[in-house]
Amino acid sequence: MENIERRVFLKGAAIGALAFTVGGVEVLLTPRDARSQGVPFRTLNAEQVEALEALGETLVPGARQAGISHFVDQQLSIPAEDALLEARILNVRPPFVNFYRAALGAVDRASQARSNGRRFAVLDESERREFVDAMRQNKINDWQGPAGGFVYVVLRNDAVDVVYGTMEGYAALGIPYMPHIAPTRRW
Amino acid sequence: MATNEKVDVAIVGAGASGSVFAAVLAKAGKKVAVLEQGPDWQLSDLISSDFWGRRLKTAGAPFLLEGRNPYGYSGQSGWGVGGAALHYFANFPRLLPNDFKIKSEHGRALDWPISYQDLALYYDRVALDIGVSGDAKAEETWRPAGQPYPMPPMKTFRNGQIWLKGFEAVGIRMVPAAVGMNSTDYKGRPACIYDGWCHVGCPTGALANPVVTYLADARKAGAEVRARSTVTRVLTNQQGTRVTGVEYYDEKKERRVQEANVVVLAAWSGQNPRLMLNSATDKHPKGLANSSGLLGKYMMAHFSSGTWAIFDEDVQNYMGTTGAQYMSYDRYGKTSRKGTFGSSFLTAGSALKTNELGGLANARVDLFGPDLAAFMKRAARGLTRIGAFGEEMPNIENRIELASDKDEFGMPLAKIIHSYDQDAAALWNANFEEGLAVAKAAGAKETWSARGNMPTIHLLGGTIMGTGAGDSVTNSYGQTHELPNLYVAGPGIFPTEGASNPTYTIFALSLRGAEQMAANWSTVAS
Repeated sequence: MENIERRVFLKGAAIGALAFTVGGVEVLLTPRDARSQGVPFRTLNAEQVEALEALGETLVPGARQAGISHFVDQQLSIPAEDALLEARILNVRPPFVNFYRAALGAVDRASQARSNGRRFAVLDESERREFVDAMRQNKINDWQGPAGGFVYVVLRNDAVDVVYGTMEGYAALGIPYMPHIAPTRRW
Repeated sequence: MATNEKVDVAIVGAGASGSVFAAVLAKAGKKVAVLEQGPDWQLSDLISSDFWGRRLKTAGAPFLLEGRNPYGYSGQSGWGVGGAALHYFANFPRLLPNDFKIKSEHGRALDWPISYQDLALYYDRVALDIGVSGDAKAEETWRPAGQPYPMPPMKTFRNGQIWLKGFEAVGIRMVPAAVGMNSTDYKGRPACIYDGWCHVGCPTGALANPVVTYLADARKAGAEVRARSTVTRVLTNQQGTRVTGVEYYDEKKERRVQEANVVVLAAWSGQNPRLMLNSATDKHPKGLANSSGLLGKYMMAHFSSGTWAIFDEDVQNYMGTTGAQYMSYDRYGKTSRKGTFGSSFLTAGSALKTNELGGLANARVDLFGPDLAAFMKRAARGLTRIGAFGEEMPNIENRIELASDKDEFGMPLAKIIHSYDQDAAALWNANFEEGLAVAKAAGAKETWSARGNMPTIHLLGGTIMGTGAGDSVTNSYGQTHELPNLYVAGPGIFPTEGASNPTYTIFALSLRGAEQMAANWSTVAS
């Protein structure tokens, strides 16, 4: 344990980026990079991605650009034991994809029932906020799916992860990250 | 089904309690195999990131959660070598003498079959073994004198110091927190550098997790730690008088038997009763060591009443350790809060991260959108918190049962049924009220209680100790009353929980139990 350099205790052990498939080849990218490169989704369909991005952006501004949909999608495609999702520590029963599909489906169904058939992603900003505020308090009538308040907590944490949990997120808030073992690629 | 070479001791679980048994028995010359269902983590795996830290938490068969206050286990669970103590906060408060005699002194709950004095020596020895920092003299207002801690208190930071004025104003004395961390270099492990990543695993060795303490000692003494080994049953002889080993699935998911003279169940307070219930035979039709019917009963959790505050200065909340800087037992008397019953343990000062479960963003779960973004900017500079842990009394209705669903190995899942009673809820509320008073007296600009669902922290009970097979599952050493070569280790054997973080007591009890086993080997193992 001698000669320990402050905050650089061990090097090279971390794999910070996630494995995405681009052109049939697995590459390591951050979710933000995966989004900007248009990496195809593995698990979620187009409607689920739209709902997740709209929800993420409503919950935490910046979540869309930070790649919430690529982060969640990639995490749902790997074994639960390897998953880094907050769902893992919020007692969501694996496979986690079941929860996300049920949650995103419930959001869109409730939105359509409340807003003349319009899915959540096409609501305007104030409508989205109103919807989320009702959802977090379990105040949406005829909600069908995991409890709205719990969906709020899980997805809000995902959005917080990609916006504030990265080294860039810390830097944006002016908080020193101070890693012992730094995640590579600033993850 | 393959059978391994017989060992003296098979230990199920490589966390805090299992590591102590492994170290003591390997040093006593016993052949020890530790079976751990998760991976064999190395210090280099402990990446400073809340994302990556989640890998250290449960990935095994899920527990099904029922009751008014379902037990939220996954955030505090362990997965792999080191167990939950690989990512614990290393707060090391002791239980106090009043924890051991609640039934005698108040006519309710349960007594321990031992007293504080029976354990005091082991607290002191654990402190020397693995390194504890603190000020023992300052604690002796509340407990009998013992040995000084081997290291002075940890450094404090503004996010802790700023609360002291408020505590003093309401008449509470705070002292340096006792923690299982190095304030100075200790036994070849370096001093802490206060970067606040304890909760995702400390890779420097400054924090006394099992991998760098008792488990390292155990390995050095020849114990084998067999990761990716999922135990599904404890095996008994035909007469049902002794255990003979365990059945488990190895890393290739092949079924094997590990024969052993002694089995120690150190898996987790939830998993140990699950295994014992699943090991039922015609001689033990209700599960092993369960003639009392108390196996899986009296599950307990702690609840915290957190108070958040934003101060109008930079409190450097990214600095320090995840655990506490200051602590107090001034509200530890069982009746110290009017109209409630149970102890409260108070803490102040902890490092915060942006996206941890108890971090900046979750300090105001109600906020989202631009309101959350604005809050995060304020919180980054001035947010800090204090905490009050509350004690739940043992309730026989809080229990673990096998469910009909099965895991990938065909073992029934277990359900944890848990509800708090009115005393617990009243104590939770009283602690919030005082927390707000402290925050106001400390000069907080904004303050609020961390309310929401009543939290469930730690899991204790289920295999409680007592005086005989009629009132408990084990004796005070963790040895089951009915099967002398089957031991249970960990907080599952606590008959009451106190309000202190349990790991220091887990280490101390395990050291006492392991040494009793070694000293009585010929009668235990034969």
